[in-house]
Amino acid sequence: MKDTPYWNPRHETMPRQELEALQVRKLRNLVEWAGAQVPYHAKRLSDAGVSADSIGSLDDLRRIPFFTRDQWMEGQLEQPPFGPILAAPQEAAIRYHMTSGTTGRTPIRVLDSMKDWEWIAEMWCYGLWGFGVRPTDRVFIAFGYATFIGFWGLHYAGEKMGCLTLPGGAMTTEQRVRTIEEMGATVVASTPTYALRMAQEARALGIDLASGPVERLILSGEPAGSIPATKKLIEEQWGAKAGDTAGMTELGTIMIFECEAQPGGTHIIEDHYIEEVIDPETGEPVGYGEQGERVVTSFGRGFIPVLRYRTRDLVVKVPGEDCPCGRTFDIYDGGIRGRVDDMKLVRGTNVYPRAVESIVREIPEIDEFQIRLYTEEGIRDEIEVLVEIPDEGADVEGILSGLGKELADAHESLRFGVRQAETGSLPRFELKAKRLVDEREVIGGEGEKRG
Amino acid sequence: MDEIGEAQRELAEVYERLKALLAERRDELAPYEERNALKALAALWQVANGLDLDPGQLYDVGV
Repeated sequence: MKDTPYWNPRHETMPRQELEALQVRKLRNLVEWAGAQVPYHAKRLSDAGVSADSIGSLDDLRRIPFFTRDQWMEGQLEQPPFGPILAAPQEAAIRYHMTSGTTGRTPIRVLDSMKDWEWIAEMWCYGLWGFGVRPTDRVFIAFGYATFIGFWGLHYAGEKMGCLTLPGGAMTTEQRVRTIEEMGATVVASTPTYALRMAQEARALGIDLASGPVERLILSGEPAGSIPATKKLIEEQWGAKAGDTAGMTELGTIMIFECEAQPGGTHIIEDHYIEEVIDPETGEPVGYGEQGERVVTSFGRGFIPVLRYRTRDLVVKVPGEDCPCGRTFDIYDGGIRGRVDDMKLVRGTNVYPRAVESIVREIPEIDEFQIRLYTEEGIRDEIEVLVEIPDEGADVEGILSGLGKELADAHESLRFGVRQAETGSLPRFELKAKRLVDEREVIGGEGEKRG
Repeated sequence: MDEIGEAQRELAEVYERLKALLAERRDELAPYEERNALKALAALWQVANGLDLDPGQLYDVGV
């Protein structure tokens, strides 16, 4: 086997012009496939005047109409359980998965064939290999192994790469920490929140993770994997490098990963996806360096063709050459920065949970936190941050007042209440953390949604 | 685009031969032969795809 930092050297270092030509060819194939196999897509494409033959450049992508989660869910409700978007007979499927449903909405249900499932693992291989994982590694996966797709693909990628793959399903946090130690895991996969939770548990058990064999953490499932303060905290507590990834059930796998150079962002796997960034209000493309909404077109899962799917994820794309790793794949600077719907309007000021987390995580004494929005006197929006500070010797008053000032300074002097919560009283999360609780009687303003 | 090497060309040939075998002579295969061949085809599809050979879809052969 070649000694290379790339899973697919040919594609990952391909000159941009060739890469874009490859994307155009794959887009043409995808439009042809979706048009021939899925009447629902055939109509949408036909109504827009799009055929495979009419795709001559990446600009032609913009002639294809957006596809939204609402449309996906409506389709499922009209034609349960999968909707009108399957391109192959259900008998060809070997896997069934669905979204985690943390938002309480109708989950999205998906099917994969044998080839698609291999492809799902293949995408994770880009991420694992790119972050330095090799066949000699022992990969522990702190994940529930149920219908939520989560780290399933990473598990199979670990096997495909020849790693000793350690499934961490149906275990308590203590059992997971002990297994990591006993089995000498060198790589651990989890959400950022759960990485912190395991570190906390290890401390309680008297296990020093930082002096153990874990060299790499593969993070996914929350934007926190690319929040510098959170990542620094995780890396310090584990004594290991932390690499961010992000994926979605709608694609079946990851579409971005952080390379070993850790450029402060995540490379887009551009030989398998086209990722556009648009203004969420106008739908028009935004340029490098500007924040916008991700729109994804996937060439991978043929069972469910994905064409211009609006993800609601907020990102900032920068050129791949900003990273010294040699990949030509563009980068999402700061990973997934949040969701279009995450923004809360509090007395006229925009508040993003990610921004609050990035400030809270700068304070090492804070173990866990929660953002609470509520209505005071029946009319006024208030925001407070509850924090756990387990160290009894800590200067609690100083921490609370300092945090309140930092938060206000970062939010146009918006007044944040900051209170200490009893240690262990705030919720812990294994999957996607939900640290914002909105108890307001009237939601802030136009354009804002209850999360 | 880059020309592919000899080793890569051989891999692509193996993929095509396996695909043809499963399309044409499947009835001759025992369950263990057929199912393992299908699994191998799913893996080799990733190679053909990575080599930009436009391998299409495999749902008609159950992959």
